[in-house]
Amino acid sequence: MAAANQDNSRPQNTRSIMVFLQAHAPFSNMDDDHLAHFAEHSTLRFYADGDVVLAAEDGVVNRFYVVKQGRIRGERHNEKADKTETTFEISIGECFPLAAIVGERPTRTLHRAAGDTFCLSIEQDAFITLISESEPFRDFCLRGVSSLLDQVNQRIQTGAMVSMGSSISLSTPLDRYALRNPIVCTPDLPIRKAVALMHENNVGSIVITDDNRHPAGIFTLRDLRTMIAEDTCSLDAPVRQIMTKSPCCLPATADAFAAAMLMAEHHFSHLCLVDENNCLIGMVSERDLFSLQRVDLVSLARTIGTATHLRTLVSLRTDVSRLVDAMLAHGADSGQVVKIITTLNDVTVRRVLELNIQKNDPGIPFTWLTFGSEGRQEQTLLTDQDNGILFQTPDGMTEDQVREKLLPFARTVNDELAECGFTLCQGNIMASNPKLCLSDREWDDWFIRFIDASTPQNLVYSSIFLDMRAIFGPTDSLDELLAKVLSRIQKNALFQKMLAGNAFQRKPPLTMFRNFRYVTDGNKRSLDLKRQGLAPFVESVRVFALANGIKSANTLERMDDLAQAGVFDIKDANAWKDAYSLIQAIRMRSHQEMLERGEELTNYIDPDDLNPLDRRILRESFRQAQRLQQKLEVTYQL
Amino acid sequence: MLEQIKQWIARHRAGQSGSIAPENTPTPKTPGDQLLSECRLIVLDLETTGLNAGKDEVIAVGAVAINGGAIDLSDQFDLILRRPELDITETVLIHGIGPEALTQGHETEDALLFLLEWMNGDPVLAYHSAFDQKFLEKTLKAELGYTRNHTWMDVADLLPAFFPDALTGGKGLDHWADFFGLEVSARHHAASDALATAELTLIALNRANKSGLKTLKQLHDKLRYHRRLQSIHGV
Repeated sequence: MAAANQDNSRPQNTRSIMVFLQAHAPFSNMDDDHLAHFAEHSTLRFYADGDVVLAAEDGVVNRFYVVKQGRIRGERHNEKADKTETTFEISIGECFPLAAIVGERPTRTLHRAAGDTFCLSIEQDAFITLISESEPFRDFCLRGVSSLLDQVNQRIQTGAMVSMGSSISLSTPLDRYALRNPIVCTPDLPIRKAVALMHENNVGSIVITDDNRHPAGIFTLRDLRTMIAEDTCSLDAPVRQIMTKSPCCLPATADAFAAAMLMAEHHFSHLCLVDENNCLIGMVSERDLFSLQRVDLVSLARTIGTATHLRTLVSLRTDVSRLVDAMLAHGADSGQVVKIITTLNDVTVRRVLELNIQKNDPGIPFTWLTFGSEGRQEQTLLTDQDNGILFQTPDGMTEDQVREKLLPFARTVNDELAECGFTLCQGNIMASNPKLCLSDREWDDWFIRFIDASTPQNLVYSSIFLDMRAIFGPTDSLDELLAKVLSRIQKNALFQKMLAGNAFQRKPPLTMFRNFRYVTDGNKRSLDLKRQGLAPFVESVRVFALANGIKSANTLERMDDLAQAGVFDIKDANAWKDAYSLIQAIRMRSHQEMLERGEELTNYIDPDDLNPLDRRILRESFRQAQRLQQKLEVTYQL
Repeated sequence: MLEQIKQWIARHRAGQSGSIAPENTPTPKTPGDQLLSECRLIVLDLETTGLNAGKDEVIAVGAVAINGGAIDLSDQFDLILRRPELDITETVLIHGIGPEALTQGHETEDALLFLLEWMNGDPVLAYHSAFDQKFLEKTLKAELGYTRNHTWMDVADLLPAFFPDALTGGKGLDHWADFFGLEVSARHHAASDALATAELTLIALNRANKSGLKTLKQLHDKLRYHRRLQSIHGV
């Protein structure tokens, strides 16, 4: 009742402004008193379509605005193209200018009303009062939209955490998890004494160091078990004979994610932590990292990597999905999670290949290639096969003779991968297709034709074949091939322009009025997060990467490399990475939800199902895709 | 608001500002060369017990001020007058004000004096202003013996004068609010209607400024001209 009485003492118009503010972040997290302070100190202004709201000439910004109705467009003049670009759009409930008012400087962007617009604003005094008294407001103003992204990520994590009951973050520096001053011994110590030392200290491993405290090897209880079972060594032999030499080391500043990935890839259960002089300072075991989890990445990767039957591999796929939940819960961002999925998929593919070689060795060395999302290391739970084979023709054989041996083998592998959940590729982009089981020379010819004859079909293929990676077999021949392909593309301006034009076709799903543009899919309003959301980033970034000789196939890594090469502005690259990751995160979360409901996985979502914050950030992410495409447009004069 | 008026009354009763006689309230201003981009305008809406100025009474006054071309939310008026003796059942449904809320109101005289002081003699705008003007002047005269005239301007004339081609589908406040996509938080609440009217006024003032109309007198004249045109065409 007290609250109601207090509320009545506020004028109706103050209350209605508070209600308006409450529907939007960051105000939704602010106390009533702070909202009232905002409302009571605000003025409401009107700007007709095209009116300038704020300009650099106005000098140091002394008001903070919230759009109450209509839209504000940010404009900057692009010197290179000599035209005005829209850098951002601000719609109902959103604030501006943040950086300028916090930095007490003039705005660098012309703010113009797009459509008839009303803005609430407060003067600097009230702004300072709120900044100093309201934590959510301060957080928002100082960190801008990225604080909203954090909120979204936090919610994704809490959602996944319900089933996990843990709050350890994978981004935490490794030394938080590490055992300090691990048990060490010299290489000459007899195994018996080393085991006694482990027993006394109740640990499962011992690090063998040299005189300078550099890790020389590691010995674990698992090694002891193998040693006794296989009777490989006497207990009186020095430990150096049985230890795993050159153990995996990471600096203490590396995060838990890096450690988990390294362990999963190499099937290690222990890592050494070293300082800048490579001296041992600690030790991390997989159990330290995953003590609270039911499914753990490292043991899952190991189980997959050592499975002896196809049906074991098939049954392990459900664990992969559970792991994704766990990873989201442990604070992995979407970029990390897709890499984990890709790592586990790689392990599965490798194991299927190994099992088939054991059963029925084609007798010819080959490199297993993956294309498209798997090539980019961007797989999610919904994934199909895009693969091929690269081989070197042995002396005395023709290429067709090699294919005769490899194709039946590839057919079995494709079918078995399908059983493991990698859907057969509808376009037959698979190693069992004779056109994709080629020698190094044939691949090179194939790419020459591909790049020279820029047919529409080739452009469709560009999103598949230009994102390529080897996951099994020797990699040298692929490296050579890639280097040739990259240098050809760098020299071929026409091909680049065709690629750019193709990438430009894929428009983010926003209308002119900054609403979502839906795909027509019966009655349901839906967005295709993959084709409409992610593809504009992936395709545009690929063009820039190939044109600038960037070797990585991963979209986030390509953006990092492009920023480092000075092709992308660092701030732009970060904004684009954030936007891309967010769309990916929303896509993965919706996959997990579909899986939970036993539905078939699709990339479609109805934005009405999202909360307002997610919707707004999704919209902003699509805006970033538009900006990236604008850069493409300017660079290639499309 | 409650605090504000209590303090004001306390201050006046203590005699700090001399007598609170109505004749000591600010003198109404006449439209002159005041710049629209600088002057203060009152946008007001009354709630009444009915439509007959002869027998119906004012229940609530809601008003906001436009200062220098912006609605200043720190400068607003939102008061329910005390009218416990009135039978208001007829209009209670329209306005959402029940007898309990009315008895919590303020002594009419104090409230009206406070209103006059707050208005500061500035020009008053309202939607269908003839109605509000009649009721307010009648109430001021009856309660305070106040007879001075403020400058009134009708927002219902202002809009068609600047947007002659707008297809609003009607002449009401709702029609124009819908036309410009305004959200009215609590329709028929005096303060809320006053804010909507003020928002429409801002839209009209923006257009006025672009057509070179800069002073209060120019605006006033434009309205008079518009009314005469209307009566000639018999609309």
